[in-house]
Amino acid sequence: MTSFFSKFKPGTSPASPASSSLPAKKDPNAPQPTPLEKLLQDAGPLRADGTDKFFGFENFGSTCYCNSIIQCLYYSVPFREHVINFPTRSPPEALEKSPQSPLLRLNTDLLPISNGHNSALSPKGGRNSISSPGGASPRKPVTTPAATINAQGLKPEDNKDSPEYKKKMAMAAGPVLTMDYENANAYGMSESLFSALKDIFEAVIAHRSRIGVVSPHKLLEILRRDNEMFRTPMHQDAHEFLNILLNEVMENVEQFSKNRPLENGRADGDSKALTVTSGAVVPDRSSTVSDSIGWVHELFEGTLTSETRCLTCENTSQRDEAFLDLSVDLDQHSSVTSCLRKFSEEEMLCERNKFHCDKCGGLQEAEKRMKIKRLPRILALHLKRFKYTEDLQRLQKLFHRVVYPYYLRLFNTTDDAEDPDRLYELYAVVVHIGGGPYHGHYVSIIKTQDRGWLLFDDEMVEPVDKGYVKNFFGGENVLACAYVLFYQETTEEAMLKEQEAENAAAASQATEPHHEPVTVSPTKTNGVANGHPLHHPTTPAVEVDDQFSSLNHAATAPPIPADQHHTLENITTSIPILSPRKSNLQSKKEKAEKAKEDKEKKAAEKELEKQAKAKRKEMETQRRANSRKQEDDLKAAVEASKSSKVEEDKRRHDPTSEEHNEKNGHDKENGHGTFGKSSLSRFRHSSMSIRHKPKFWPSGKDKHESDPKEHDSPAMPGAEALNGTPSGTPDKPEKEKTKNRFSLGRKKSTFHL
Amino acid sequence: MFVLPPPPRYPAPGHPGAPGTGPLIETNNTLTHPTGPQHQLVVGEGTYVLRDDLHLATPPAHPSEAPVHNPNPLATTISPPSVGTKLSLVIIAPRQSSYARLYKLDTTNSVRSPVPPSIQESPHESNSQASDAGSHSANGIAPTPLEGLHAPAFGEGNPLLSMVNGKESKDPLKRRKPKSNIVKSNSSFVSRVIPHEALSKRIAEHNPHGIYAFANVNRALQWLDMSSPIKEEHMTKILFTKAHALCHDINQSTKAANHIDIVMGFSTGDIIWYEPMSQKYVRINKNGVINGSAVSEVRWLPNSENLFLAAHMDGSLVVYDKEKEDALFVPEDQTPAAEVAPNERAQRKVSFAVKKSVNSKTQKTNPVAYWKVSNSKVNGFAFSPDCRHLAVVSENGTLQMMDFLKEQLLDVFPSYYGEATCVCWSPDGRYVVTGGQDDLVSIWSVEERMLVARCQGHNSWVTAVAFDPWRCDERNYRIGSVGEDCRLLLWDFNVGMLHRPRASSVRQRNSITSATLKMQRSRTESSVTRLRSNSNLTTASVGVDEDEVEVVHPLEPRARTAMLPPVMAKAVDEHPLRWLGFEEDCIMTSCEKGHIRTWDRPKEGASSEEGAPSMKSGSNS
Repeated sequence: MTSFFSKFKPGTSPASPASSSLPAKKDPNAPQPTPLEKLLQDAGPLRADGTDKFFGFENFGSTCYCNSIIQCLYYSVPFREHVINFPTRSPPEALEKSPQSPLLRLNTDLLPISNGHNSALSPKGGRNSISSPGGASPRKPVTTPAATINAQGLKPEDNKDSPEYKKKMAMAAGPVLTMDYENANAYGMSESLFSALKDIFEAVIAHRSRIGVVSPHKLLEILRRDNEMFRTPMHQDAHEFLNILLNEVMENVEQFSKNRPLENGRADGDSKALTVTSGAVVPDRSSTVSDSIGWVHELFEGTLTSETRCLTCENTSQRDEAFLDLSVDLDQHSSVTSCLRKFSEEEMLCERNKFHCDKCGGLQEAEKRMKIKRLPRILALHLKRFKYTEDLQRLQKLFHRVVYPYYLRLFNTTDDAEDPDRLYELYAVVVHIGGGPYHGHYVSIIKTQDRGWLLFDDEMVEPVDKGYVKNFFGGENVLACAYVLFYQETTEEAMLKEQEAENAAAASQATEPHHEPVTVSPTKTNGVANGHPLHHPTTPAVEVDDQFSSLNHAATAPPIPADQHHTLENITTSIPILSPRKSNLQSKKEKAEKAKEDKEKKAAEKELEKQAKAKRKEMETQRRANSRKQEDDLKAAVEASKSSKVEEDKRRHDPTSEEHNEKNGHDKENGHGTFGKSSLSRFRHSSMSIRHKPKFWPSGKDKHESDPKEHDSPAMPGAEALNGTPSGTPDKPEKEKTKNRFSLGRKKSTFHL
Repeated sequence: MFVLPPPPRYPAPGHPGAPGTGPLIETNNTLTHPTGPQHQLVVGEGTYVLRDDLHLATPPAHPSEAPVHNPNPLATTISPPSVGTKLSLVIIAPRQSSYARLYKLDTTNSVRSPVPPSIQESPHESNSQASDAGSHSANGIAPTPLEGLHAPAFGEGNPLLSMVNGKESKDPLKRRKPKSNIVKSNSSFVSRVIPHEALSKRIAEHNPHGIYAFANVNRALQWLDMSSPIKEEHMTKILFTKAHALCHDINQSTKAANHIDIVMGFSTGDIIWYEPMSQKYVRINKNGVINGSAVSEVRWLPNSENLFLAAHMDGSLVVYDKEKEDALFVPEDQTPAAEVAPNERAQRKVSFAVKKSVNSKTQKTNPVAYWKVSNSKVNGFAFSPDCRHLAVVSENGTLQMMDFLKEQLLDVFPSYYGEATCVCWSPDGRYVVTGGQDDLVSIWSVEERMLVARCQGHNSWVTAVAFDPWRCDERNYRIGSVGEDCRLLLWDFNVGMLHRPRASSVRQRNSITSATLKMQRSRTESSVTRLRSNSNLTTASVGVDEDEVEVVHPLEPRARTAMLPPVMAKAVDEHPLRWLGFEEDCIMTSCEKGHIRTWDRPKEGASSEEGAPSMKSGSNS
């Protein structure tokens, strides 16, 4: 850090190809290098590990939940490493060659449809041609508050400090990686969220530019195909997405390794053929695969031990549960530490929540507490800001001020936990901006390996001050609050090293907030023992602080939604009952359509996937000793998921229409209860929240899960969906069929015109 | 005389991007008297009852910088560092210390008092004991005067310093005042000064045993007479243009009926020495000429008329002389080589460096001394009652113990995690207590140079800690802490319970680490004796010390640390608390939004009788 900062001078000639190509353009719209470009001006040679890539993600209309989470995962070093190396890293030549011959060979070769645009990603000409689809038309995120409330007749993107403008410029500047192809076969896998994620990561890493925008078409396509709740163009829950993504990735990885021996024999010729067409060499992957299939578990999974003491017979029973993230309840004016402690506080199981004691053989009052037995390497903390309020019959956003430190240890470990004093550092924060759970915007703020903290707001990436992270504690009148926190394990040595390096810069930031005429040159120079005067009172701190000064005035988010009435009015719908009947009908229809759609291959794959899913599900159910109910739910979910796909596709047809949104909002409300539970049950690893009783306790209470009145808190398993994302389903089946399954592609294509 | 307008309800000022920032008109303070069980603190010794709640009016933003309404919640505008209301208290009259009553036993006979307890109150508590410290020798510690007074003055060895002092101190009785009049000032730094219309009358009528308080709120600093029947009316209110006063301290050794020296540190790095009675002031470190980062803490050096120490947010500690001119600061490479010498045993790189020593040859201008204690923000510091040591807490989560007379770093202790935010000394100087972002109050033994206990009970970060000197004796200590969770917690600990190992089974498992602990312990044993002898010597022992420079202590695992529960925990405000003070008759708290609450101690009588024996029995167990 320090060395980088001190090296940086405004006059420095740009070293990286990315930045060199920029100023070449004399375009009134693209005058100044962005803060990010400045930051990367002397970045040196490209790295193969992806640590020097800072790509925004295109927003296709409320897909910020996906963008923010994927960014957080990309900048987790171990996660990224595993993704690109599993089952094997894509042919090294691809990465090595990339500087000369712009990678997207992968892209173009495999999927000719994605056309010359991408292959033209050459330093000079490429930028224009690529960006034309995106840059030419105003790219307004459809449901971002900015687009809906901008009543003053002044386009938000006219203001050069506005995030809209910056996003537009980011798209225009490109390069845009249109991820509408899939390399799954080259990996020897079937198409899945994991392969789509891997495609994205590899494309980003292999690309010769350090900055750019990713259009994650394929990933969203797969996500929406498999999860009906994400099919609406509505605001979704980022935590829910994280959970699904991690589960899917885990499942994809495991399935791959399970099928591999089989596949190796069968599909050998297949993959060879692919190898030829893609020009990629698929090396022998057998060595790498076997020992690394559990890496998602290793990274994110921890173990909770719940101890229950029956108050009647004093018998204590223990149960271990795996978790991928922890969902904690919030209190006003509390800290993450205390939320976690509350999570593990002793709790009485009484009245309706009585505990079924095996020893006494009946429902008994009991004391229960959950502690962490195995600490995850990456601790994803979900702050439950969306709480179900009984009297309003809907979710409400909690604006409680909850502080989180940069470093954390866990107090709520069991006595026999290994390394109970493990040190975690905060490396990413997903921020939800908005007044309620049904609308708003997600961004993430991420600590990168050697570029400090960056703000990722869809297409836009901007360096921010370390202290910026503290702006999202929440509190009254603060619309932007932290929603998911990512802590990764670290060591004291690493912490000290970083403090040495980073604090010099951070401290100097603190000195200049006032922009007094006389500012002091930052403290970085303090350490320099060259007799250089520590501070020049008469020198404004332009030189070294340049990259920050521009930052100080950056306005980086869409304006606050001023008018939320239409959404709010619709939210008061009560939770409806399951409506499985229509699923059957719809599923037939859908199958027919699928056939038409010339996707037999995919269907087959899907079938396989489904089977595996069911298998896994079974195992999981066993492991959790869960009731059979859940399995049924799964089936219902699958059916329901299929059924609603058609309508969903239809409805995404015109996502820009305001009225339509309103309707969707309404639909979503109804659909939400319907599928919330069933879709939830497909999570093998749910997030753990303290109120999850019925999940952990086979107390036969499950039947009431989806009834909110049963629960003192919204965090019940059934309420997971309540707590999280409302999933959208129309209450009226729409008869009209649409061919295009994904509005994304469609939307994009309209821009071509 | 005043017709008070109804106080408007203010929206919360300040959060970046928050709609509605601050009031638009100047308003008056309000005083309320909430009653009811929710405004009582029930502790063993009795019930503390809320006397009143004084809400300081948040001043409107200066016209020159009308708040830019930025609706963008992601705006990367860096807001200036701000803190909630903090108080500096002073009682003009010399008073008998509380300790004289509480230290009933002859501590020299006590086995557990290797260090003569110095009863002078820590400056952290901003009390009045420092000046009349001589009267405490009555407690039978030693025939010598109080240790604190006996300690050499800072910079005593430097003739250049003493010369300056000597030259000007021809009339020691007449306090020197700053030179500029703040009311008539045309400085752009000071926006407005609003004295009370009957200021001189109020000063004249002030009960010398009553408390004067100085409190910052937003860009204002208010001088309040807490004993006045109209205490909600400020004595003087100073509005600064842009800068916020983040910290202030009153010199307890120069206070007089007609003289109070107060020094304030600002978010801009400027420091003001202000004398409220004469309305005179001087601006030091003007425009950050010496150090341009915000001042997070400022304290007068114990028993010094002129010198004070300021902590800048870039990790520098700077000693200023209130009467010296500023000069561009150039680090002097006098001693750093010796000081920064890497310690073999330390895994933590110690970044302590003396940029300018008090023994420097150039002492005509400020700074008097300049130490770089870390690269991260210093959150607070406190002087030991024996006036030799300094405890510094920083954003990087360390507690650093310094011998500031020798300008030497002694110990570096890590917090459990997160920033260390506040620090104070026990009245006898044996313990240091810190609070931090780990939600813990940590107790450190100065003699044994180790962590003694962690106190768990806050639901959020701890923002201030203080000892209640009126409820401390040589074995029992009362600590108070406030935090972001709006709660006040009281803790009792006594020496008997402190060193109890927590879980023997755990010890076996970590046998390696516990072995190192033992080693460290045995080493610190020797250092205890060394420290003790030091404090009895004056300046001769420099050579002895050289071999043992800084000790960087490893983290104490949670499994091996004693955990202390609070004796009382209660939400005492609706807003995160920022400051806590113990007075003879009350506890005072202040919050982020300018509420100052005063809690009367339990009435003399049955309840207080109850409290004392319970403490005793605790110590015997």
